Amino acid sequence: MAEALDRDRLVWMFTQMVRIREFEERVKRTFEEHPGVIRGHTHLADGAEASIVGSIAALRGDDQLLATYRCHGYPLALGTDPKAMMAEIYGRSGGLCKGYGGSMHLTDAGRGFLGTSGIVGQGIPHAAGAAYAAQIRGKGQVVLSFFGDGASKQGAFHETLNIASLWKLPVVFVMENNSYNVVTRVEQEDANAAAGEPLAVKAQAYSMPGTTVDGGDPVAVHEQVAAAVARARSGEGPTLVESRVYRLSAHGNIIAPPGVPLRFPDHEAITVFGNAEEYEAAKRGDPVPRFRARLVTDGALSAEEADAIAEAAREEMQAAVDFGLESPLPAPEEAVKFVYA
Amino acid sequence: MARELPYIAAIAEAIREEMERDETVLYFGQNIATSENDPFLQAFGSDRVRVTPISETAEIGMAVGAAFAGFRPVVQLYMAEFMLVAMDQVVNEAPRFHYMTAGQVKVPIVLQAGYGFTAGWAGQHTGTIYGMFMGVPGLKVAVPATPADAKGLMTASIRDDNPVVFFHHYLLTLEHGDVPEGEHVVPLGRANVVREGDDVTIVGIGHMVGRALAAAEQLAGDGVSAEVIDPRCLAPLDTETILASVAKTGRLVVVDQSTRHGSAAAVIAAEVASEGFSSLKAPVQLVCALDATIPYSEPMEAYLIPDAPKVVAAVQQVLGEAPVPA
Amino acid sequence: MWRIRAFEERVGQLTRANEVHGLVHLSAGQEAIAVGVCSQLRDDDAVYSGHRAHGHAIAKGAPLGRVMAELMGREAGLCRGLGGSMHLVDAGHGFLGATGVVGGNVPLALGSALAARLQGSDAVAVVFFGDGAVQGGIFVESVNLAALWRLPAVLVCENNGFAEFTPRSAHTTVERVSDVVAPWEIERETVDGNDVLAVRETFGRFLARARAGRGPFLLECLTHRLGGHYEGDPQLYRQALEAEEWQELDPILRLQRRLGHGGFEHEARAEVEEAVEFARASRFPSPELAAGLVYA
Repeated sequence: MAEALDRDRLVWMFTQMVRIREFEERVKRTFEEHPGVIRGHTHLADGAEASIVGSIAALRGDDQLLATYRCHGYPLALGTDPKAMMAEIYGRSGGLCKGYGGSMHLTDAGRGFLGTSGIVGQGIPHAAGAAYAAQIRGKGQVVLSFFGDGASKQGAFHETLNIASLWKLPVVFVMENNSYNVVTRVEQEDANAAAGEPLAVKAQAYSMPGTTVDGGDPVAVHEQVAAAVARARSGEGPTLVESRVYRLSAHGNIIAPPGVPLRFPDHEAITVFGNAEEYEAAKRGDPVPRFRARLVTDGALSAEEADAIAEAAREEMQAAVDFGLESPLPAPEEAVKFVYA
Repeated sequence: MARELPYIAAIAEAIREEMERDETVLYFGQNIATSENDPFLQAFGSDRVRVTPISETAEIGMAVGAAFAGFRPVVQLYMAEFMLVAMDQVVNEAPRFHYMTAGQVKVPIVLQAGYGFTAGWAGQHTGTIYGMFMGVPGLKVAVPATPADAKGLMTASIRDDNPVVFFHHYLLTLEHGDVPEGEHVVPLGRANVVREGDDVTIVGIGHMVGRALAAAEQLAGDGVSAEVIDPRCLAPLDTETILASVAKTGRLVVVDQSTRHGSAAAVIAAEVASEGFSSLKAPVQLVCALDATIPYSEPMEAYLIPDAPKVVAAVQQVLGEAPVPA
Repeated sequence: MWRIRAFEERVGQLTRANEVHGLVHLSAGQEAIAVGVCSQLRDDDAVYSGHRAHGHAIAKGAPLGRVMAELMGREAGLCRGLGGSMHLVDAGHGFLGATGVVGGNVPLALGSALAARLQGSDAVAVVFFGDGAVQGGIFVESVNLAALWRLPAVLVCENNGFAEFTPRSAHTTVERVSDVVAPWEIERETVDGNDVLAVRETFGRFLARARAGRGPFLLECLTHRLGGHYEGDPQLYRQALEAEEWQELDPILRLQRRLGHGGFEHEARAEVEEAVEFARASRFPSPELAAGLVYA
């Protein structure tokens, strides 16, 4: 039974959502304002803030989580310093992983964010392994496994959910279903979606409860994930939570050879499917202003307080950008370190 | 104190002793404890010893995740080819994380993989594929040829903080040899000079060490003194020992059950050609499996695989003594 | 069914006598499934199997002599001695083969089903696999695609309750394979795999629909593996069935009781002996064959 969220908790959730949005906006703006600084392929979580924060709000201090290459949101909510995060995305020595990982591999093991995989679906068994470790330790720790709808077609998803259910591992599988796998719509690749069903039905194959929740509502997400976390913590095993979100940016920046400036194109709904209306509707339902409006209407927050939170986030992420730009690039010979433990 | 043990028992002894010594060592895999009476299950309980379904991606991936969280899993995969089902986890996940996170996590896992079962196990179960795993940064590859080394290398592999693929040859399973009792560690990355000699260096990998020794015996009868080296570990590879030997003998033959371009032999030959060229009196000879999937029928199977006569012929070649064909 | 039973029993003897070597998995006890399914198929229907494939190959039309010769590693074998027990192929009869890595055969069958559709043919694809394969990732990847593309494929699961040396309960919480695929809502049925008439009837219904362009289908056949996982398996992990229990379950005896008569055993054993003679008389392949067929 999820505990009711008090005002402080609600404001905390809103603050994290605002911070994540601001961070992602600043990452995206770096492509325009400082071309060449961010290399490779960067994936943003704007649109998924409510799902990320609602989930993490259900955790206690010694719980752990793993995620995918779309990983910027989780460490922010855990308290990781955005300066180190931005520096990592910029490939600097002051980065969270000293420039070794980049955008797709942000890790803060000390805060329980054990890592990400850049290969779709392959982080799911990692999370189950961490949950197995937690089960042996017997301290009641729970692990969250975040992945997208595309990953649910991967064999790793099937194998891991089966074992996690069989061994009653303390893990919660949070599938952020944003209806797209790069440029493919979920109905084009998923038999359940093609039949008009929620993807949570897949849990039935594993004797596991599966629920679907509006990933744009942090309170609803918190309720579902907290219930799943409680279930896991009490030794009853895993749950599949399908959190319906809409990513507001394209899958990632364009893929181009060195020399061609990288940028974020429009969302695939527009560029591939010619469905601008879908995208516009998603923007109208943007979870961040939606939650702000709700808190202000409920009297949990005044408009001025909400503005102050936004302003603080702007300053914080500006400082992160500045730190990132000023942080030196690693010395080249650092490349051969950390090969072996 | 040493006593005779079969190769397969030496491996199990290493795992058991390490599990006794370190409670973070786990052991899981398919069919690993098929009844309550299984000795590992009895000794260590069902937390640390678990049977898995046929799910290599999840088995290896979970090992990685448990390692992130401080455990040291050993995954019993039985046959090396089953790693191919989960190649991403072996090559693109396990060895990457320590590096990509600048050391925040480590992945001390051991993948126990049998190979080379040229006894009619046919095309999909009989390959020698360690070559695919050499040169993967962060991944170590052990290939013991004797029971003592099997125990020593497994112990070292479990204690190593990096992912290790432990290839054990199925034809060596029941080979007996002296195995030290108690703690016995063979460091990863240190070759063994099994037989000293002056005229030619023969490097053998895994089961081929035995064939190299048989060839050396035969050659001794012809007055040729062969030095036989067992690298024991392919990554890291002890090129120093091999180069020192070639500096002495000037001639090198490498015997490897892999196919030529996928072999450890090719890597060793390249290292010697590049770092020890001035020592060489003749080109390096590779004695590898012919380029074909391993067939089922026995005469064909034997045709493909290196044997002592093929090694002897290769040595005669580097000595310049091969008879001129009529 | 008697042909398969006699064949498998003989292969067991020959393996113990070292005339058949290597890794051999026998299907005695599971004949009703091979026969109930394959007896209704054409040569252009593609059939795939796993490592326990002798019965499927025979039921699909592979001549006993050529299967036996393959197991004995002879030139006259289906694959000239290159494949062995786990890699039997008889393309002419549509038996596109046995495979050695669990689950690897399932997507192959989908490929054949896709090809049939693209060629405008009403041929179907059938793949036999065990309950152990269902937990592998490749199975669900395949089910999703087969369902999404509505491929004319029939997935036949021989659920004998054991995957190698461990019971199904060590592999998953879900007892029935048909429940595992429930989320994809493909047409499925569970039958008594030791009742050849039940297998035949249910598969026949699926076959007719597959030929009409529908699919995929899952036919779960509950059965019993009479022997060990492989020939030589001491089977310490399970209780042997009492002879009386097996009498009740044996698909051959059950059919004989239904029909009210036996027969066929004598002819089957004679045919198997002929196959053994044929194989023994065949020469071994020349070693050079090994290197000759690497590329097409």
